[in-house]
Amino acid sequence: MIVDTSLFTRWVKFSPSILITLLIVPVVAGLLGVILPAFGWLPALGEETVGLRGFEALFATPGFVKMLALSFSTSFVSTFFAVLLSILILGNYFNSKLLGHIQRLLGPILVIPHAAAAIAIGFLIAPSGLIMRLFSPWLSGAELPPDILLPNDPCGFSIILGLTLKELPFILLIAMAAMQQKEIKQAIEGQYKVALSLGYYPFTSFCKAVLPILYPFIRLPIYAILAYSSASIEIPLILGPNTPPTLAVAIMQWFNDVDLHLRIQASAGALVQIMLTLCVLFTWWLLEQCVKRFCLSSLINGRRTYADITWKFLTHCITLLVLFAIVLALIGLVIWSFAGYWSFPKAYPDQLVTLHWQSALQQLPETIGDTILVALAATGIALFLALFTLEAEQQRRTQLSSVASLMIYLPLLVPSIAFLFGIVWVKEIIGVNAVFSMVVLGHLLFVMPYVFLSLATSYRKLDLRYANVAASLGRSPWSVFYSVKLPQLMPPILFSSALGLAISFSQYLPTLLLGGGRINTLTTEAVAIASGASRRISAVYVIIQLLLPAFGFILAWLIPKLFFRPRY
Amino acid sequence: MPIIKNKPFRLRRWLIWTLLLLCPFINAQTLSEKTAWQQTLQDARDNSVYFYAWGGDPQVNRYLQWVTKRVDNKYGINLEHVKLAQTSDAVSRVLAERSAGNTSAGQVDLLWINGLNFATMATNKLLEANWVSNLPNFALTNPDQNPAMTMDFGMPTNGMEAPWGRAALTFYYNSASISTPPTTLQQLLTWSELNPGRFTYAKPPDFLGLSFLKYALIILNQQQDVSIYEQLYIAPTAQSERQLLSSLWTFLDKLHPHLWRQGRYFVNDGTSIRRLVGDSELDLGFTFSASDIPGAVDRFDLPLSIRSYAMKDGSLSNVHFVTIPVNAKHKAGAKVVANFLMSIEAQAKKQQPSNWGDRTVVDLSLLAPDKQLMFSSLQQHPSALPELDTSPSLSEPHPQWSAVISKEWEKRYGAKQ
Repeated sequence: MIVDTSLFTRWVKFSPSILITLLIVPVVAGLLGVILPAFGWLPALGEETVGLRGFEALFATPGFVKMLALSFSTSFVSTFFAVLLSILILGNYFNSKLLGHIQRLLGPILVIPHAAAAIAIGFLIAPSGLIMRLFSPWLSGAELPPDILLPNDPCGFSIILGLTLKELPFILLIAMAAMQQKEIKQAIEGQYKVALSLGYYPFTSFCKAVLPILYPFIRLPIYAILAYSSASIEIPLILGPNTPPTLAVAIMQWFNDVDLHLRIQASAGALVQIMLTLCVLFTWWLLEQCVKRFCLSSLINGRRTYADITWKFLTHCITLLVLFAIVLALIGLVIWSFAGYWSFPKAYPDQLVTLHWQSALQQLPETIGDTILVALAATGIALFLALFTLEAEQQRRTQLSSVASLMIYLPLLVPSIAFLFGIVWVKEIIGVNAVFSMVVLGHLLFVMPYVFLSLATSYRKLDLRYANVAASLGRSPWSVFYSVKLPQLMPPILFSSALGLAISFSQYLPTLLLGGGRINTLTTEAVAIASGASRRISAVYVIIQLLLPAFGFILAWLIPKLFFRPRY
Repeated sequence: MPIIKNKPFRLRRWLIWTLLLLCPFINAQTLSEKTAWQQTLQDARDNSVYFYAWGGDPQVNRYLQWVTKRVDNKYGINLEHVKLAQTSDAVSRVLAERSAGNTSAGQVDLLWINGLNFATMATNKLLEANWVSNLPNFALTNPDQNPAMTMDFGMPTNGMEAPWGRAALTFYYNSASISTPPTTLQQLLTWSELNPGRFTYAKPPDFLGLSFLKYALIILNQQQDVSIYEQLYIAPTAQSERQLLSSLWTFLDKLHPHLWRQGRYFVNDGTSIRRLVGDSELDLGFTFSASDIPGAVDRFDLPLSIRSYAMKDGSLSNVHFVTIPVNAKHKAGAKVVANFLMSIEAQAKKQQPSNWGDRTVVDLSLLAPDKQLMFSSLQQHPSALPELDTSPSLSEPHPQWSAVISKEWEKRYGAKQ
């Protein structure tokens, strides 16, 4: 393609570098801002000697090994379950309409902020939660909530449950998006049909013929999930134990402790957290290698079935259970948000009132406004940069290098707790006071990767012949981009925007740390309220947290239907 | 009208001139104070004051919305309530700012604080000093007769914080499931043995959890020799730690197996206890703001059968303050807001149970009867702490005890499962 040097093409040319810089600089600066204090350099406290006392204090923390073990096991096991369940669901419902239905039902969970999901799951499984109430006292015989340690059990089962439920839809959606790409779709469907015709049972066919092709496409997202869950805050904070908590939660508590010298220990902890995350990733890689080694022979051993019927039955049960839990959690939330007093073991409150909604809605308009404003700004910038970067790819006719693609994932792979505190420190040193733009930048770090990745597939798949025809008729690159490519891409652009908005809505740490409390979003308010005492108000906040991103997705789905007539 | 208005004007100018001429001869302080305050009021106009205050309680948040309106009307100040999940977030913010060399454009203008957070900020010199006595309304608290107004957990405030309200540890129980709640610390232990799993406290360093531990620490050491007991009010030493803390650990070792979840899990947040009482998981809870309880009953978070009471062997009590960080950007505005928070209007409004119910710092004996009347509540909520229910007030130990208790608690119980 011949490209003249208009303003547009110059912008396009630079946008890949701008995009990568915007992602790398804050992360690297943030990491630096943690490394220096970790080795004892914190001039504000008069700590100017470099040493290892932060690490010494860290290792002397009571239960330190348990913290590591808890972080490691919960993230690894939950991801393992999520991947396993995804494989079961994909394999057993492959090429069936059910898969689409399940995707539509699970999709909304993807956009639920982690804090909201954790609160909802807590409502469900607590000894005084909805499940227990449904079975009390007629079955359990309990007039009072039983004194069992759930959630917050010391082994982290509740964390695993929460993380698995959150990760499952993500992996499913990524896998299904990959399977819909033209070349992959052709390959796997062909292979699958051949396997079936050779007498392989459906699930075995999927595992032997489809999975080996599919897995490389979901591999990076799985690593991102592992990294995220090994350092996540909200779910372990709300559902996890605290004697001791997971490492990430402990780090956050040390950073927030009134004893400012704990900050050195916290920074050291942040570095250990990075090591821990690397360990989790490495272990997963080992697992992959083992599976590869030991399953290679069974791929070609010709065996047609591995208890396929049992697996299918199991998948039905698990899918039903997951859906049941989700629906029950949602129902529970709605009832709590309208509940008058609701004593145990009643399955239904004494009376329904609108008081909680009224008082929340009185205080919320400004917060919702800020939430949307930040999200629109972050998503807008992300969309703009992502589109231009992808356009640059097409003008250069080469895809981003694999290093560059990895860089886009960087904010998702480095534990955010490790670099966000550093960013605050660096920000103070530079003396930036612009709160709003800092929060937008913070959100951008997390919104950008998702927007880029969700757009990239469609953009790269775009049938270039239309653009070529337009260009050959003398249209400028801008005009080709604006009036040929963008209209073709409208549905994926809208979807990416909705996804970007949803990601931005759910950010807790970046908003809190970079906004310094001056910008309250729905999520920061919800976590602050969850630290308060009212289950009812919490429920209202969680529901609004669910509705906001859902609204975005509904718009993304409706707009093309209403305004863009189908052209074929 | 203009004629009448003119006269005092001239009179005042004359007065000022005379007084100025007499300055060398009379005590000039009152006058310069007054003009200095006028100057502060002038500087404060159109300030945006960022008030960092814990935002976990809807009732407090509503009260602060009212304050926002009032200071806007009265002084043209734009007050922004920055809702914190933990006060220590703001402490770290000020620290980070100062460590980055930000000495005059800090984001925190006013901060709701007391105890350990104050001690931390004061010892790190993060607070503006000697401004409180310049606030006209500070005199209403009668600081000369009332040492609690100038001492925060045993530490002299040195004019770094203005008192805002008073709190005492108050217990509450579900009268539908217990008829006679434990009224002393020892009874609490025996009651817990009889009713396992129906009581808990929050994990330190949570403020409420620490308060419970301090209450226990004081009660358990009351029988000790006075010279040892008084060590609680000065910074702990290795020796006093040994002498005073051992009885606390013995008590907790006995208590923990009978707590909620057998003491294997402690809630992170003191206010979660209220939720657990509401869920019927606990029968007995405690709070530092007694007024929360009737409010929570009215919002259906607690059952109607909740009753509040004070422990007979004593209630830990303290004063909470507002303070100005040394690098605050809008100091004048912050001072004017702090002064307004101590005014009769704001304090009376705050004491009304329907607004917040936080006890006033104003010394009512200094006020005229009609002003005093503003502070009395109209009717008593059945779940509220009976006004006659008073118990010996136990003052807070030196703030460093909190740090010591947290640390030792963590060692003993922090990794126990």
